[in-house]
Parts: sequence; C-alpha cells; structure tokens
Amino acid sequence: MQTQEEQNAADAAFAARALSLLADEPVSAALEARILGDFDRLAAAPSLAAKLAQAIRRVSETIWPGAPLWQPAFVLALSLILGLAAGMLVPSSALGRDNSDVTQTASLDAPPQLDLSAGEL
Amino acid sequence: MARHLPKMLSLARRMLSDRAEAEDVAQEAFLKVWTHAARWKPGKAKFETWLYRVTLNQCYDRLRRKPALELEAAAHVADPKPGPQKALEDTALAAEVERALASLPERQRAAVVLCHYRDCGNIEAAEILGVSVEALESLLSRGRRTLRTKLAHLKDL
Repeated sequence: MQTQEEQNAADAAFAARALSLLADEPVSAALEARILGDFDRLAAAPSLAAKLAQAIRRVSETIWPGAPLWQPAFVLALSLILGLAAGMLVPSSALGRDNSDVTQTASLDAPPQLDLSAGEL
Repeated sequence: MARHLPKMLSLARRMLSDRAEAEDVAQEAFLKVWTHAARWKPGKAKFETWLYRVTLNQCYDRLRRKPALELEAAAHVADPKPGPQKALEDTALAAEVERALASLPERQRAAVVLCHYRDCGNIEAAEILGVSVEALESLLSRGRRTLRTKLAHLKDL
C-alpha cells in the first residue's frame, strides 16, 4: 500500500517520463525575425516626450515660422505675465460702473402726458 | 530572447496544442514585455517570472477565445520522423501524451507544463501562476494523477 507522498512521487515521475516524449519546439528563423522586427519597430517609434516636442515645434512653426522655439515661447510668456499683472494692478473702479442690474424704462412704456388745456394749440 | 524563447514556445505549444498560435503568443509576450518594461519592478519579481506570467496570461486569453479544445488537433505532432517503425511508435506515443495533456483543465495543465519546461521551484511556479504554493501543489498533484490515469494503458511508459 503506497502512502500519499509515494503516490505523488510516482505520479510526478510518470508525468516527467510522459512529457519528455514530447519533442522540444524548435524556434524557427521566421519567428525570431518577427520578434526582432517588433523590437526594431518599437525602438524606432518616437517616445511620448519626442511626440510632445514635435507637436510644440509644429505649433511654433505655424505662429512664427522660422523662429527659434524660445522666441514664440518668450512672447507667449510675456503676454501672459502682462495680462495677469494688468488684471491684478488695475483697480476695478477704472473699468466703469456695472449697470447691468438697473432696469431701463423706455419712454414708450410710460403713459402719454398730453395736456390739451395748456392752450398752446 | 534566445535564452527564453525555446522554453516559452514549448510552454505555449503545450498549453494551446497549436504551433502557429504558440508562435503568436511568444511574439505577443515579447512585445508586451518590451512595451510595458517600465511596469516591471526589479525588487518585486524576477524578470523570468514576469515573462512567463505574461506568456501564460496570453495563453489563457487565447484558450478563452476558443469555443472548445480541439482534441484532434492536439493529437497532431509537429515533427514526425519518417522511416523506421520505432519512430512511428514514438510519434503515436507522443500524440497520446499530447492528447491526454490537452484534456487536463487549463490550470492543472499550466502547473504540470510549467514545472516540467521551466524547471523552476514550486515558489516561483506558484508566483507565475498567481496562486499559493499549496494551491500549486494541489494542481500539480491532481494534474499528474489524471495524466497517469489517462495514460495507464501505455506499456512503454
């Protein structure tokens, strides 16, 4: 009578013999070439940072063709700073009174004020 | 790549019983490993463990896409040696083994094949399969027992 451990060991030895009958899979040159091709394609593909730099360069070429990248970047940054400074420093009273909540009454809405007894006619 | 590809291919071939699919799996596994190389944490898992885990997951994905395992296809052996009677007998024997292996539930098959081809310890195999060592031992024990029962009629083993 075999113990559980002996039986497991016998099963393992049997499985090893059975699996050793199966031939190893040879690696074809075509498969190697496919995998290496994938690697080359991946290596050649631009990274996210490179794609971002390319997009920035494209935008800069559109707004200021032929200029080095720092020039449009500088102008953009300067206008942003000026805008923010103006927003903070110019007092709000200088921008004019806000009359948006005042109801304007048109003269046509009022009842006609016609005095016939005035005698001017 | 040259170090791992033969074993990865054998593992995938035994899991899927299909040479062409096994090649696709090996190719996809390498592609995935290269694409997601940044996700691999050196201190967390060995590179080989991660590589074989990716390969096995690719096999599971393909097995789930198959409606049913084609046992007839599983019996096909890639490299039958023509000629003497012994070679033909070996081929038939290998076909029987392959059919028995293909009929195992996928987790048991993965455990048996992984431990045979990867030749790794139970701790690493359990890590690759994503189960505890006890669960792996149970899978191995049941898989090997079933394999032996199915092939009990073979005198040459």
